[in-house]
Amino acid sequence: MIRIENLCVNYGAVKALRDVSLQASPGQITAVLGANGAGKTTLLRAISGLVTVQSGTIHLGERSLVKMATENIARLGVGHVPEGRGVIGELTVEENLRLGALASKVNIAEGLETQYRQFPVLGDRRKKYCATLSGGERQMLAMARALIAQPQVLLLDEPSLGLAPQVTSELMKSILSLCESKNLTVILVEQNAKSALRIAHNAVVLHLGTVVASDHAAVVAHDDDLRRYYLGLVQ
Amino acid sequence: MANFLASPFMHNVLAGLAQGVLYSLLALSLVIIWQSTHVLNFAQGAMAMFATYIGMTEIDRGVGYWWCVIISVLVGMLFGGLAERVLIRPLYGKPEINPIVVMVGFLGVIEALAAAIWTSTTRNITPPFSQIYFHAGGQVILLSPFVIFQIVLAIVIMLSIAALFRFTKLGLQLRASALAPEVARLLGVRVSRMLTIGWMLSAGVGAVAAVIIASGTFGLFPTNMDGIFVAGFIAAAVGGLESPIGAITGGLLIGLSEQFILSYWSATLAPLGGIIILVVALMIRPQGIFTKNVERRV
Amino acid sequence: MKALHLLRTQETTSARAIGVVLLTAFTLVVTFFLPAVADSQLAGGAAITIVILGLSWLIGWSGQISLGNSGFMAVGAYTAGIWAHHHNTTPLVVTFIFAMLIGALSGLVIAIPSTRLRGPYLAGMTLAFSAAISPLAQNFTSVTGGEGGLFFNELTTPKWFLNFFSGPNATINANAQWTADLSVVVAGVMFLVMANLFHSRTGRAMRLVRDNDVAAELMGINLPLTRTLAFVIAAAFAGLGGALYTIINATVTPSTFPLTLSITLLTLMVLGGIGTLSGAVIGGIIYSFSGNLVDHINALTGVNPASNLGANMQGIIFGALLILTMMFAPRGIAGLWGPIKRLKKPSKRLATAEVVQ
Repeated sequence: MIRIENLCVNYGAVKALRDVSLQASPGQITAVLGANGAGKTTLLRAISGLVTVQSGTIHLGERSLVKMATENIARLGVGHVPEGRGVIGELTVEENLRLGALASKVNIAEGLETQYRQFPVLGDRRKKYCATLSGGERQMLAMARALIAQPQVLLLDEPSLGLAPQVTSELMKSILSLCESKNLTVILVEQNAKSALRIAHNAVVLHLGTVVASDHAAVVAHDDDLRRYYLGLVQ
Repeated sequence: MANFLASPFMHNVLAGLAQGVLYSLLALSLVIIWQSTHVLNFAQGAMAMFATYIGMTEIDRGVGYWWCVIISVLVGMLFGGLAERVLIRPLYGKPEINPIVVMVGFLGVIEALAAAIWTSTTRNITPPFSQIYFHAGGQVILLSPFVIFQIVLAIVIMLSIAALFRFTKLGLQLRASALAPEVARLLGVRVSRMLTIGWMLSAGVGAVAAVIIASGTFGLFPTNMDGIFVAGFIAAAVGGLESPIGAITGGLLIGLSEQFILSYWSATLAPLGGIIILVVALMIRPQGIFTKNVERRV
Repeated sequence: MKALHLLRTQETTSARAIGVVLLTAFTLVVTFFLPAVADSQLAGGAAITIVILGLSWLIGWSGQISLGNSGFMAVGAYTAGIWAHHHNTTPLVVTFIFAMLIGALSGLVIAIPSTRLRGPYLAGMTLAFSAAISPLAQNFTSVTGGEGGLFFNELTTPKWFLNFFSGPNATINANAQWTADLSVVVAGVMFLVMANLFHSRTGRAMRLVRDNDVAAELMGINLPLTRTLAFVIAAAFAGLGGALYTIINATVTPSTFPLTLSITLLTLMVLGGIGTLSGAVIGGIIYSFSGNLVDHINALTGVNPASNLGANMQGIIFGALLILTMMFAPRGIAGLWGPIKRLKKPSKRLATAEVVQ
């Protein structure tokens, strides 16, 4: 369970997040939506400790994450697939996966086995350098790398970026099934509101750093005003 | 065979390789630091020299040669870790020029301090290997047990470092911390610790080079690593600061070119060998010969 | 509009010239009151100030780090030495101009491979150059006098000046005074030149290239040319400083300008204040009296100057000063007062910036 209350984050003089509150529960996908610059990525980075929090709280269960070092937050079981996926091109597929497993207590050999079963494509390409992978393959790798550590929380920053619609819908389906089968707390940041709302349980809409809506996904999906003004989904 | 090995050409090749291998070690140490923290440690040679002096004081107290080597390397590593924490860590985020200047200042301090403590007289550590060249059929081959030790040790160190980086968990974390520090942190890698370890490894490698130099005819004195540093830097630059293989190759090339200049032109001009190679290499490819095509300006 | 602008620039230049003349005159007066020893030290300091002016220009204004200025000094020094050796009747001015020209030329030679380089590559390249001077000087002995170097007649103090001095040490005092005054005047002239450069269009172009080379290019500024110009000017200044330094000391050898001098120059420049005029002067003054300073510190800490520690105190102090200044007061002494202009806009930061706190 991730609980964020009255979060304020500044980039110098710019208030990137103002008084943001959010709750994400295990086994559920919480979508964070909004236009570019709304603060969605900043929110995820704040959870992972990559940006300084001005005020407000972030809790993982009972534990406060504010002021904790990023690597320690990761070791608590918060898996974060960043914007652009963060696949390290100069390393091979297998090396990226190993890296994901290093900080956890997982048996690496077993972990690799599991991920290769889940994503056979990765298994085929395990010795290849990641710079040669396609967008969809990188997304798979980034997910697998986060999952190999058996996290409790999964933060996904625009996973559908640059992917073809067919691939996107496959991706969303697998996110949903992973979330449910492993009881993960998933926070899904997406520009592509339509596909996110299809699998999300709850949705939070950000605009210029503040929350303009926070409700069940179905409600948000059918709200005309939200659709038009914040989600780019015109009738 | 003996004739060939004893020929002037082979004399130069062997002497050049023996020296070049030391440049390669230093170049490698610079590349390790550069890859993890994007700082060029101008004090690298001086730090290694200082560590060797400390090892030498142990030999004075009657400890054996190998202990001296181990102590020097360990002290060097400690030095490297401290330098990263105390001098470089506060400078992250500041202009690129700051750590360069700080390390140059550090260089000055260490050399002056060494002269203050141990004077500028050349000292030697006597290795358990004879420095007398082999003879075969009445001719001299420019190899001695010590030279063989020098080359073998250097190669062993280089291979060990390569193996460390390629095959171990630590190596993977070190590489990730250098390539993509933020992503590495998101995966739970303690990047700041990796940076310190990178500096420690680098300093250890440098210390090995310094110990070898101190054991040979060049000897140990406060500024003995200056020339090696310049050559090592040039080797690293020629290879492109990103490439360990480039650094090693560069070192050998410079060693060879210096030797050939010494032999066919003039002894005093030998140090120019490296500089000539550097100028030529950087004019052809300003980003270094072995780097991939990365825009060097950004 | 244009006329007003012209008038303004013109006015500022004359104001600057007047200011420098006053400052130089003041310093000259001071030299009359200093003992001969201090005058000699001041002369050396003046030479160093000239070099630091060039270095500040290069590192502070064009953003190109150089560890090779001791090399440029050596070039100027040897030029002056060789020229004076063969033509010891030429007026000093000619020798100086020659030193500057050859220095500038060496700057050009270094600039050609260097201007495409950044950061550590550039530093290393200039370091390599500086390290090359000694082998070259040692090797071509017929020209450079090899290890022993060149000696030449001390500065001949003109008769009219000597007449001002009387008493037991008249000649010594007169010579020291003359040397100091000459150096101060030369330094004053170069100070004015650099002051004008700072405020010229070239200076502004330099800064733009340093801070935002993409923008500079878009504005039609020729990047390699501007960067090369920075080196050439810095080398010319260093050459002149080296020549002056040599003439003051009447000798130049391969070890007169070692690598440690490059470090010292850097330290003095940073201490004084990178990229500032006053910083160069402060650096020069510190150099002049660094011996006294070190003696003082030795006395304070009870270190025996004849011991090893005492002999190396200067190196330790300077190195430590450089580290401390760079870490805690990177703007140097000049940056401690006055309107702190944003001269060093950091354009390149260490990659691990946001990551490691």
